[in-house]
Amino acid sequence: MESLHGSDWDLVIAGTGLAPSLFALAVSRSGLRILHVDHHEYYGGDEAALSLSEAEAWAAAHSGDSKEDTSTSTAFAPRCFSHATVTRIDDGGEGANLPRRLGPQRAYSLALAPQIIYSRSNLVSALVSSHTHSQLEFQAVGSWFLASGSSSSPNLSRVPGGREDVFQDATLDLHAKRSLMKFLRFVGNYEEKENEWREWKDLPLPTALEQKFGLPPAFHGPLIALTLSASLPNDITAAEALPRVARHLRSIGIFGAGFAAVFPKFGGLAEVAQIACRACAVGGGVYVLGKGVSSVDETPGDDLTLQLSGGETVTTKRLVGSLGDLPLAVTNNTAWRTLVRGIYIVSGPLSPLFPSTSEGGVTPAGAVVVVPSTSEPAGPPIHILAHSSESGDCPSAQCVLYASTILSETTGSEDVDVDAMHRLDDAVALVLRSTLTTPTDGGESNAECSQLQVLWKLHYRHAVPQRQSSERHEGDGRILTLPHVSLDLALEDSVLGNVESVWAKAIEGEEQGRFLRFESRGGMGDDE
Amino acid sequence: MADSSAPKPSSSVKLVLLGEAAVGKSSLVLRFVNDDFQPNKEPTIGAAFLTQKCQLPTRTIKFEIWDTAGQERFASLAPMYYRNAQAALVVYDITKESSLVKAKHWVAELQRQASPGIVIALVGNKLDLCEDDEEAAEEESSGASATAAADDEEGEESEAAAESTENNDEGNNSTARKVSLKEAKSYADEENLLFFETSAKSGHNVGEVFTAIANAIPETSLKGRNAGAAAGAGTQAALTGANENSRVNLNAASGDGGPKEGCAC
Ligand SMILES: Nc1nc2c(ncn2[C@@H]2O[C@H](COP(=O)(O)OP(=O)(O)OP(=O)(O)O)[C@@H](O)[C@H]2O)c(=O)[nH]1
Ligand SMILES: [Mg+2]
Repeated sequence: MESLHGSDWDLVIAGTGLAPSLFALAVSRSGLRILHVDHHEYYGGDEAALSLSEAEAWAAAHSGDSKEDTSTSTAFAPRCFSHATVTRIDDGGEGANLPRRLGPQRAYSLALAPQIIYSRSNLVSALVSSHTHSQLEFQAVGSWFLASGSSSSPNLSRVPGGREDVFQDATLDLHAKRSLMKFLRFVGNYEEKENEWREWKDLPLPTALEQKFGLPPAFHGPLIALTLSASLPNDITAAEALPRVARHLRSIGIFGAGFAAVFPKFGGLAEVAQIACRACAVGGGVYVLGKGVSSVDETPGDDLTLQLSGGETVTTKRLVGSLGDLPLAVTNNTAWRTLVRGIYIVSGPLSPLFPSTSEGGVTPAGAVVVVPSTSEPAGPPIHILAHSSESGDCPSAQCVLYASTILSETTGSEDVDVDAMHRLDDAVALVLRSTLTTPTDGGESNAECSQLQVLWKLHYRHAVPQRQSSERHEGDGRILTLPHVSLDLALEDSVLGNVESVWAKAIEGEEQGRFLRFESRGGMGDDE
Repeated sequence: MADSSAPKPSSSVKLVLLGEAAVGKSSLVLRFVNDDFQPNKEPTIGAAFLTQKCQLPTRTIKFEIWDTAGQERFASLAPMYYRNAQAALVVYDITKESSLVKAKHWVAELQRQASPGIVIALVGNKLDLCEDDEEAAEEESSGASATAAADDEEGEESEAAAESTENNDEGNNSTARKVSLKEAKSYADEENLLFFETSAKSGHNVGEVFTAIANAIPETSLKGRNAGAAAGAGTQAALTGANENSRVNLNAASGDGGPKEGCAC
């Protein structure tokens, strides 16, 4: 194998997470000499999707506390993932029937930080305008659910997705319907009514719903669910909630009746990152895994000199990378926002979670289940992103549930993790039980579900700095940084926005206005 | 074209080409996609993406083809192409023995790393350079002697053979072949691979490789992949019984105009 030592580049990109990969896509036709490295042995960085054995190896490498753990290169910023533990419940015991067993380890594609993509996201249009969407297979996130009740009488209710759903919802009385409609109509063009809501923008969402729209608390759950906010309901302000509910409503029906969001098959954002890297490779970019940038010499005037983790030295005019992949001093006393995540492989299709949203429409492969806290005082909600086997995340007749909940800031103790893990476990158990009592679409029997159980689970902490300057110029702008993707359940437009502003600096204005707008490479027959 | 008649179920299949540099990967794709051949095809940089449909009696398979560069420098590219691929075409050059060694390496890596159900085809290309033994070879004869003799003279000989694409039709028949049909075939059988000898130059067996792959993709892995073709997925999907269909068509965005249309609010 060749050595990189002494090579010279126009641009070195560090990290193959979503943001740096989209940046690689953006410069894939620039003609620049590009080296793209990742210190991981896999693509996708923090947004990677892993097979079962990769996930277990990953968990072993991230089992410790992020601050003490120095098992990999200390040159990198504090690691986002920590406290990982795997529990294999599948004992592979004799006579166990197949659906209850784990499949081949490579039949799994488990996303470390799954997100849904609203149909109106800027990423969707960018994938289309850059002709990369045809290489991806998108699937629908069909329904939002609220799970509540106790394990003995679980309750799963579908959240009305828009005004049509509200009309048809038999559980709502006329008054509730009217109030809900009033709210939904208001959200529809809330930007134009800023003078109406400016004075109550800081009210907690529940208070605003009650006082301004006459909605009794019983109807708040579904609307809070649509915000996908990890915060306690009373910590969500009206000003935060309005754009979130609006993005949901406005995305419904764009790509098919009744659903608002999509995600790429086979591991979600990891697949987008890889497609983006492929495009850069097609343009001549050189890819090296298992190699990170461990130090940067910024002597003014000269090209940057980078030391790679294998010991090689390369020079480059410019370095672009995500904050977690660059050897930059992290601004101290940054507050971190932390999620406890759980990935659960379940031994059943959970078909009640994936009802079709319209006749003859696509079969959803994803669903969102929100499990509000029932404790006193209320804790943060638990969000569960459910992927059916159609998502390519697991073998058929199984399901993957991605559960998460926010960890309160003031914590160092392990007990908090254990508590959060138990809450995730309980929420998953509640959802499993609730699907047993929900009649499935086709009225098919739930016999297969009576064996429903979790086969494998992985818990971990995922932390992201609370305030990341959207882009930081080191010195004279030869180093450009991309922030971490947020912990949100939905991909935020700012991810691509940050990529665009870094791109505009990196290409020095030559192609302004042509961000991710490419001619087709002529996939039909012309490979240049 | 065939797909203008009654709609057949259509599925996409992601296929990746792997193999040593200059064995003819891009040439095979060019023959399959454009029915063309370039005697001096330049090496692929990074990778190339192409698509081509393959009509089977009962369904249409749309191949999404990733053609990789054989001279990839840091072995970090291939994983992102074979990840989730449903089919792989591992190519060697029958006039260059080292290329089979490399092919075996790729097969092993695929078996270790790719999706469990991946369909792998082993393809020995440049059959036209050995025209004379082509027929004998197809009758499953003993081409093995040629390989045995080749060991000590590989380097220069095979280089020469590979470069003599212009005037190869006569002369260098039995010496050109460095990998016997028997050796490759028995390896393919052992590893449960589809196997073909092809010529991208003459077109011999090229279509057959892709048809065989299309036929070998298990129905179950096509289920739910009814893409309903690119345009007009709505009606198309309805016609083809798209209840199994989970693919969202991003080209079918309703209401590109304003936020109001197709929206519930
Ligand atoms: N005679 C003959 N020459 C061939 C055949 N296929 C390819 N070639 C020639 O072999 C050379 C290499 O072919 P390519 O298709 O570029 O090979 P490749 O495997 O794509 O090479 P890389 O992109 O570098 O990995 C070219 O000069 C082709 O014209 C064939 O079937 N017969
Ligand atoms: Mg090529």
